[in-house]
Amino acid sequence: MNAFDPNISQRQPIRQLDDAAANRIAAGEVVERPASAVKELVENALDAGARRIDVTYADGGKTLIRVSDDGHGIPAGELPLALARHATSKIDGSDLLNIRSFGFRGEALPSLGAVGRLTITSRYGKDEAARIAVNGGAIGAVEPAALTRGTVVELRDLFHATPARLKFLRTDRAEAQAISDVIKRLAMAEPSVGFTLRDVSGGGEGALKFRADPENGDMFDALAGRLRTILGADFIDNALPIDAEREGLILTGYAALPTYSRGAAVAQFLFVNGRPVRDKLLIGALRGAYADFLSRDRHPAVALFLACDPERVDVNVHPAKAEVRFREPGLARGLIVSTLKHALAEAGHRASTTVSTATLGAFRAETRGHYQMDLASRATLSYRQPDRPQSGFAEFAPSARVEPVHSAEETSPEGVEALPLGAARAQLHENYIVAQTDDGMILVDAHAAHERLVYEKLKRQMAENGVAAQVLLIPEIVELGADDRAAILNAADSLAPLGLTIEPFGGNAVCVRETPAILGEVNATAMIHDILDELSDLGQTQTVKDRIEAILSRVACHGSVRTGRRMSGPEMNALLREMEATPHSGQCNHGRPTYVKLKMTDIERLFGRS
Amino acid sequence: MKVSIERSTLMKAMSRAQSVVERRNTIPILANVLIEAEGDKIAFRATDLDIEVLDTAPAVVSQAGATTVGAHTLHEIVRKLPEGAMVELSDDGTAGRLEISAGRSHFSLATLPKEDFPVMASSEYECNFSVKASVLKRLLDKAKFAISTEETRYYLNGIYMHAAEGAQGKALRCVATDGHRLAQVDAPLPAGAETLPGVIVPRKTVGEVMKLLDDDEAAIAVSVSETKVRFATPEVTLTSKVIDGSFPDYTRVIPQGNNKRLEVDAAEFARAVDRVSTVSSERSRAVKLALDEDRLVLSVNAPDSGAADEELAVAYADEPLEIGFNAKYLLEIAGQVDRENAVFMFNSSGDPTLMREGNDDSAVYVVMPMRV
Repeated sequence: MNAFDPNISQRQPIRQLDDAAANRIAAGEVVERPASAVKELVENALDAGARRIDVTYADGGKTLIRVSDDGHGIPAGELPLALARHATSKIDGSDLLNIRSFGFRGEALPSLGAVGRLTITSRYGKDEAARIAVNGGAIGAVEPAALTRGTVVELRDLFHATPARLKFLRTDRAEAQAISDVIKRLAMAEPSVGFTLRDVSGGGEGALKFRADPENGDMFDALAGRLRTILGADFIDNALPIDAEREGLILTGYAALPTYSRGAAVAQFLFVNGRPVRDKLLIGALRGAYADFLSRDRHPAVALFLACDPERVDVNVHPAKAEVRFREPGLARGLIVSTLKHALAEAGHRASTTVSTATLGAFRAETRGHYQMDLASRATLSYRQPDRPQSGFAEFAPSARVEPVHSAEETSPEGVEALPLGAARAQLHENYIVAQTDDGMILVDAHAAHERLVYEKLKRQMAENGVAAQVLLIPEIVELGADDRAAILNAADSLAPLGLTIEPFGGNAVCVRETPAILGEVNATAMIHDILDELSDLGQTQTVKDRIEAILSRVACHGSVRTGRRMSGPEMNALLREMEATPHSGQCNHGRPTYVKLKMTDIERLFGRS
Repeated sequence: MKVSIERSTLMKAMSRAQSVVERRNTIPILANVLIEAEGDKIAFRATDLDIEVLDTAPAVVSQAGATTVGAHTLHEIVRKLPEGAMVELSDDGTAGRLEISAGRSHFSLATLPKEDFPVMASSEYECNFSVKASVLKRLLDKAKFAISTEETRYYLNGIYMHAAEGAQGKALRCVATDGHRLAQVDAPLPAGAETLPGVIVPRKTVGEVMKLLDDDEAAIAVSVSETKVRFATPEVTLTSKVIDGSFPDYTRVIPQGNNKRLEVDAAEFARAVDRVSTVSSERSRAVKLALDEDRLVLSVNAPDSGAADEELAVAYADEPLEIGFNAKYLLEIAGQVDRENAVFMFNSSGDPTLMREGNDDSAVYVVMPMRV
């Protein structure tokens, strides 16, 4: 007999749950782990206008979380109310659409009080400081306390009232990591507020885990400084500042160059009105903007801030406010895609400095190796390979042939060295071009660079001429679920210009009438399913475009200069000039760099001359 | 086993057998050919598990027997032997070696046991008929260009052979399509083929059968069952599985009401298509056909690399029309025309177009336009 059979189990009367139980249930939504408690408390501190926020935790936040701020504080008389459900100072309840603070639901403190031992100590202006404690939902009395300013919220033994939840927490280390992530995200959004994060698990002062001092200066400088603190100098050095506005939506922040991409989506920080979010729409837009520069397993690194009138975005979608809903999703998406694409296009052929840093590293290791060689062995072991003939024919050896640029006048007109990629000087190993610029040297992978140039040209042609569609003799009927059918038909208008024509068919089927001619014979059913998967994951589809571009990329590979072809001076210079003129030529079709740049100072450093 | 055979006879038999053997095999025995010597004949049997070729040749058998040996190696050896040489094959059945001698050359090849060789199960053929090699050759040759290569639509990866009601009465019909174009070729129905079940003959089988059809006058015995098809000449028997799937109802997509008629010299048309498509570097080159009274202008426009057009004098008396096609498709169907002019029947720029040779309805082609 099945105990879960609804007809057999005994009916229980309907009961009103008591407040403690209700609060615990609500707490489950808001507070799922220590990090979410930290997030709620820090957001409260920010809403209170704090300039310094100190966070302390112990045992991954399971035994202690303490958030101290220097904000305006809470008057002693309002302390009991602060712990009541749906009590907040942040909104008056008349307009849930116009929300300008982090919090607004009035749920955080009562929820925390329901699942842990909460103590709030606060001093409002010149009043006396006061303290209130709540233990497993039971609110104590307001007592006088000592505090110079602001509020200290202390949460001990989180989830002691809900042991089930405690069992589902990860290790202390993982929870501490999550807390640190939360603080970093909030710190990014508020560069002018100072943050510290301490782990006091061992007692005493504990260990400082994170520290960000308040940044000064205008918004961009402050943000750059804060991002440097949090994400490292590498990120800022390889990121493009973003600042764009469209119809009241403002996008600011930094987006990293494609060559500074990551293997997982770990360095994507998105904020809407200062609120950290992980929103499908925004992540999809990000992917769309970088689609052309990164292979599918690479992820861009960005810190982007979208700001708009609070009325145009609904943050009351998700209890932890990680998702938002835009009133004009197309506008938000369009702004992100076009702004990033534009910025990346302007950066054009720039490859990340991490690339040249890596190059320098490689050079250095080699130098040290030679340096350690003692004089005697240096005399016997010539710098070149020992079996190489010592005659003058050595320079014709094909493996390391250097093709000198014959005549400077003919190949390097005046001022060429001032151009970003400089003047070609030689070709090494029948592929790599060495060029000299005003402030250093450039090493170009000729094959990769030319491949990218051909690819960009093919894409441009495709964009200008449109995608030719091959009409099918026997239209392909694809059976789908009702939701999938609606989704694919919704996208039909955007697929038609790419040569894929989809029409409704009886029942839950759609009919594919035309496919992109360049793809040849297409397995339409599989393609439709791939598109649908992508639509449900990202809310948009790149599948058809990706496939077309994959073909173009293959064509480009065949149509480009191969390694092993010797290039003349004018040819090399022409390639460099075309790279400068072509957007996105700094990386090949897979996000690898097409050239590295060594600054004069880098070269001098190699020789210890700096 | 001990056999003596003339080099060119051996060569001919071996080459037909070895061509079905795949170059790379995961099952070692499939790389081998089964050699069976008995009476005054030697038989070579090779298979890829889908197709089996059995080829017999006259030989002097001094000791009957059977063995298997690597097909490609044996074929290469025989090919390199001098013309007119007598080749001796012997295997004492114990050493696991096949000894090959010809003149002063001597080879010794590793063998695998003949018992391991997979022999295709014989089956009942419900339909048997005989057709002249030239007729079968025409049927397959004219249809095979349209066979699909898209593996997921496996039922299009072959030629659909069946009995149908053609324009000139009952016909043996071959149809192939890849979803973009279609070929339908008819021949008068041979006696005994009335009960022919529709079968899809795989692409590889079509290619192998074509190799058996050098003698135009020879009679090919065709046997068909639900799962297999067999083509036999006096020396060679080729048995193949057929594709297990149902061929789509192709008759619906052959347009009946197309009324704009263009008649053009096929070779001249093909050369012109080839010339104008040179300017486009794209993989799918689109050629535009602009038709006006007795005038056809072929044009290709690739904004970056250039443009080309060529005017042809044609017979066309209907209202003007512009329509685009994949250049490769046009070349391939124009290549099927060998005696008369090509006649195209159009409806509109988005509808299927029909092509045939003169007024001959025994071979019709349908090609879908491209929308540029």
